Amino acid sequence: MPSRRAEMKNKRSLFAVPYVVWMALFVVIPILIMVWYAFTTAESGGTLDNFAQMGTYASVFLRSFRLAAVATLVCLLIGYPVSYWMAREGAGFQRVAMALIMLPMWMNFLLRTYSWMSILENNGLLNQLFRNIGLISLVNRLTGSELQYFPMIGTSGAVVLGMVYNYLPFMILPVYSVIVKLDHSLLEAAQDLGANSARVFRKVILPLSLPGVLSGVTMVFVPSVSTFAISRLLGGGTQMMLGDLIEQQFLGGAYNPHLGAAISLVMMVIVVVCMVVMNHFGEGEEQAVML
Amino acid sequence: MSKKLISLADCCMAFDGELVLDHINLYINDSEFLTLLGPSGCGKTTTLRIIGGFLTPTSGEVMFDGVRINDIPPYLRQVNTVFQRYALFPHLNVFENVAFGLRIPKTEGEGRSRKKVKLPEEEIHQRVLEMLEVVSLKGFEHRRVTELSGGQQQRVAIARALVNRPKVLLLDEPLGALDLRLRKDMQNELKRIQQQLGITFIYVTHDQEEALAMSDTIVIMDQGRIQQIGSPEDVYNEPKNAFVADFIGESNILDGIMHEDYVVEFFNRKFKCLDKGFAPMEPVDVVIRPEDVDIVPKDKGQLKGIVTGVTFKGVHYDTIVDFKGFKWLIQTTDYHPEGETIGIILNPDDIHIMHKSQYSGMFGDYSSYSEEYEELEDALQEGGDEE
Amino acid sequence: MRKQSRFGSRLLIGLVFLFLYAPILLLIVFSFNAGDSSAVWRGFSLHWYAQLFQNRIIMESVYMTLLVSLLATVISTAAGTFAAVGLYSLSRRKREALMTVNNIPMMNADIVTGVSLCLFFVAFFQGWGVFAKWFNGIQGAVALPTRLTLGLGTLLLAHIAFDIPYVILNVAPKLRQMDKNLLDAAQDLGCTWMQAFWKVALPEIKPGIVSGALIAFTMSIDDFVISYFTAGSSSSTLAMTIYGMTKRRITPEINAVSTLLFLSVLTLLVITNVREARLEKRNAKDFSPAPAKPRPAAVEKAAQWMGSPTGRWAQRGLAALCVAVFAIVVSGLANATTSRPVVNVCSLGEYIDTDLINQFEEETGIRVNYQTAESNEAIYSLLKSGGADYDVVVTSDYMIAQFIEEDMVEPLDYGNIPNFERIDERFRNLPYDPENQFTVPYTWGTLGIIYNTNVVSEEITSWSALYDDKYAGNVLLINNSRDALGEALLYLGYSVNTTDEAEIRQAFDLIASANRRGVFQGKASDEVFQKMEGGNAAIATYYAGDYLSMLDNQADGVELAYVIPEEGSNWFVDAMCVLKDAPHKDAAEQWINFIASTEANLANMDYIGYASPNREALEKYPAYYEELYAEELDMELYEIMAAPAEVLERCESYLVLPAETRALYNELWVQLGT
Repeated sequence: MPSRRAEMKNKRSLFAVPYVVWMALFVVIPILIMVWYAFTTAESGGTLDNFAQMGTYASVFLRSFRLAAVATLVCLLIGYPVSYWMAREGAGFQRVAMALIMLPMWMNFLLRTYSWMSILENNGLLNQLFRNIGLISLVNRLTGSELQYFPMIGTSGAVVLGMVYNYLPFMILPVYSVIVKLDHSLLEAAQDLGANSARVFRKVILPLSLPGVLSGVTMVFVPSVSTFAISRLLGGGTQMMLGDLIEQQFLGGAYNPHLGAAISLVMMVIVVVCMVVMNHFGEGEEQAVML
Repeated sequence: MSKKLISLADCCMAFDGELVLDHINLYINDSEFLTLLGPSGCGKTTTLRIIGGFLTPTSGEVMFDGVRINDIPPYLRQVNTVFQRYALFPHLNVFENVAFGLRIPKTEGEGRSRKKVKLPEEEIHQRVLEMLEVVSLKGFEHRRVTELSGGQQQRVAIARALVNRPKVLLLDEPLGALDLRLRKDMQNELKRIQQQLGITFIYVTHDQEEALAMSDTIVIMDQGRIQQIGSPEDVYNEPKNAFVADFIGESNILDGIMHEDYVVEFFNRKFKCLDKGFAPMEPVDVVIRPEDVDIVPKDKGQLKGIVTGVTFKGVHYDTIVDFKGFKWLIQTTDYHPEGETIGIILNPDDIHIMHKSQYSGMFGDYSSYSEEYEELEDALQEGGDEE
Repeated sequence: MRKQSRFGSRLLIGLVFLFLYAPILLLIVFSFNAGDSSAVWRGFSLHWYAQLFQNRIIMESVYMTLLVSLLATVISTAAGTFAAVGLYSLSRRKREALMTVNNIPMMNADIVTGVSLCLFFVAFFQGWGVFAKWFNGIQGAVALPTRLTLGLGTLLLAHIAFDIPYVILNVAPKLRQMDKNLLDAAQDLGCTWMQAFWKVALPEIKPGIVSGALIAFTMSIDDFVISYFTAGSSSSTLAMTIYGMTKRRITPEINAVSTLLFLSVLTLLVITNVREARLEKRNAKDFSPAPAKPRPAAVEKAAQWMGSPTGRWAQRGLAALCVAVFAIVVSGLANATTSRPVVNVCSLGEYIDTDLINQFEEETGIRVNYQTAESNEAIYSLLKSGGADYDVVVTSDYMIAQFIEEDMVEPLDYGNIPNFERIDERFRNLPYDPENQFTVPYTWGTLGIIYNTNVVSEEITSWSALYDDKYAGNVLLINNSRDALGEALLYLGYSVNTTDEAEIRQAFDLIASANRRGVFQGKASDEVFQKMEGGNAAIATYYAGDYLSMLDNQADGVELAYVIPEEGSNWFVDAMCVLKDAPHKDAAEQWINFIASTEANLANMDYIGYASPNREALEKYPAYYEELYAEELDMELYEIMAAPAEVLERCESYLVLPAETRALYNELWVQLGT
């Protein structure tokens, strides 16, 4: 007869059983099905045909990863200082600022992206503004061009802007939450040991806030690399990204779920490898297990 | 005082096939202060948890007032526990922590007439305040428990357990987290409370001083087995084996041979002693307490040795003396400098003879004196995280 | 010095907030615009708010969003807490293995989660269909539904699936931090295990549960991608509706709904923040011990931050949320119990006079669930991926032919569709449905070039304008492979129905090279409305009817013209058909009959600008127009809508292409933009 505690513990660990079943059903099996799709085609089973086509889409992969990397970098460059400065403010300021950063997330991101569409259009708000203040004619005079507007929508810049706009909070929040929890005595200790503030930042704050930066980078990069709505709305569909490519295979104009699954799989693997490498590199022996 | 309240008969406990308690037989009298003493991992906390109802023994019987309680869940036992690190509910204030048990509706009656009974609020109020007074925490009712000092938290934990008027209070290393001074105060406090309320305390500790100071009965455990049960004086003066001798107080333990009753030989020399009943020429362990050794000039002693270390301890000096390569600890009020050759005299009542046991040869040599002290410190800090 | 640096950093923080909030403010400002532009201010009005509450599609999707988010939050919070307790009592090794799996949905890109869940559901439905048929076959007592489709159920499951990990990640650390003895202590004091859990453990882990719930809710309400792949056709969340709308004209009603959403969240936030500040002041003396340092595993950190700053104030918000859930669920159930017969219709674009839907519902009591799809190819994908439970589909001739070829449609019972008699002979027995067993024509028209004459000074007569560097950045490429390649084939002088791979590749190269040279601003389906009307693009190809509808919405400085190029073009018939195994075939035929009536065709012609195949409607339209608007119909425009015979002669209709040609089309189309 097992001990009561062990018994109760066993009973309680039965609580985990429904969840294990649930995860198997809704996490593991779907991914396995996706893998199965990736290795079959409508005509034949067990084939690498889908992956053989991948070369055709190399440019899409490259573009996606490039734009996502740029967006992540921009988010980091904006998000880190903002988080750092916010953490230095008073508690009231911090609370309000955090709430303000969370707030837009309760409006669906498509609404926000749509708003950018109307700003960036050729006849949109920004171009109207530029026209009215004479900026466009000024540029035309300076460069000899005949612009009616500055082309913004449909460019990769617009796509990056959309990503930065939507995912910046995902960078600020984790970085901020790490910096704000830094033990103040560590900074004092560093100063006591003769480090000036630049050195304190480089040698103490930066390494200690690295976990936050890593999770921020992950949380910006992953949705950026796979977005299709943003590239569709702001990139006009010619800046095809991985998300668009996948969406097209499932619900878009070129039905081929097998190819779509293969692209998803490749993307997933690349992302996971990136993350694992990054975390390994960033956290040394304490590697955050991503998958 | 002699009524048996709790008894454990042949209790074994195994976790994942590993035997943690090995045939424990133990009874606890009403109104007794009993201490389970032993190093961490000895099974003392397991024994306590069996009595508390958090564990069911793998085999054996647990009786309470003549009733088998093996399968009675903790919330139905007339036993309350003061936990290691107190386990106060952080979301409740002092008053509510103490009132917690009183607010649980109790089931009364049998079968059809069973009903849940709630204590009236005035009674709860009165009992909580009463108990806070007992533990000297009057006026702290509305404090948050997280604001209290360690000692105050300790008192809340005791009050919370006692307010339910248990027949037995279980205390699991309750003073482990307190500093030395506070610990001494709380020892007196606990003893006072126990005497005032007249209920049974079962106390778990690894601190032998604590055990000696507070207990009516000490149960010394190691490796899941009871090594000795007895009054503090008994276990100190008449240790059953090398383990007990070493664990309770300091001991020099030597190999000896019992020639006949009252005669023991060690260091190739025969000594008179007060022990008898051993087989002729039986190898035995000889215990000599450091404070029992009399130091005399070298030529007047029964044995000669060289002082190899001296540490001032306040009341006495811990003097390490090398006898033919075997180092003794001798506690003496006189200072003997390192390098001095001294003699010692052992009176018959200074020598205590024990049968050989599994512990023979493991303790009682002070060759690595300082290291042993460090080990003790470690044990103190580990604080018995056993299950 | 110190002060100065503070000022600088605050300025930059302020700028970031400006960046975050400017687009939102813009949305709000333009929700009060009297005009329907999102760029030109025409005065203050509450018109769009009034309109919003009339707009069934938006209101239903708001309801669906709230229902799904709230239900998913409640269920995943309960289930996640339960699971966390279970995980917590497992051995360390097992727990860590499970936590790794737990992290997958959070680490995976949304689209991968969405796609894999979609595939999973569809596979399950197929399996279920086989099982149900077998089960119904061996016994007669219980009839299991044989055809399951994506819908509210799958949407909810998907949301729960991606919410639970966040709940667990928030609850688990709290459990870990909790003193193990607390539960023992409570039991020691007389609690049963359950009582101990409720009285002691729950208050201890409550902050984790609250922040978990909050994050689950945030994730649910912000989600688009996973919903998009798992909701199927019948349940649109607000995000999906918006996504659908961004393709045509976004009505400012969307601005209105955003404003309302934003303001309600803002109010909640202000109230709770003020309360929190007040509480904090009162408890200034109190302190709570610093929480244990969280392990810096990236994922965990990520999940924790989101709850942490919002912590306690969210508890009150959560209470309000629970009430809201209850109200919404009750009203939803009330709605469901009074459910009427339904017909699910899927159509290209926003391609109907919505009054007709109301009229039909009033007349018959049948509820119409009207969905739109982007292109013929998208409809095909939707049907193939099992994401749809449509009864009636409106799609183009060549696609219908493909449906018929693949046995996806049900023969119609023309006895139930007496109005079929009114369809002009010209539009019966066309090649796509030679014996007219499956379809009733809906509209017909031509494909042509639409351009802004104020930007394009010369007259366009050829498809070549589409590939001309002169108009770089100002041309919209039509976003479906058949039309886009068809135009190029016509320009090159080939047939739109060619199966010659070389010809098709040549056409593709033409498009691809123009794309590389930056001629195209983008690909557009119904986005052309907004783009062309607002002057955001100058040249596009689209359908005659849509051109007419654009004319009514031209912005200042935009004057659109329509031309069928000299190389000829495509003329098409869009027709209605009923899908195989449609659950509501009777209602579907009633709907088709209703739409085929002369009155409906007249209304539709006026509303969508496409020509009707109904003989009487074609004849009566000029008179109908005169009566309605008290002015004469511009016959030139009418001829654009209903092209005369000599124009149609220059045009070719699409035939269904053989499978390998279709595969080539798909392959090439996907490559475009790579």
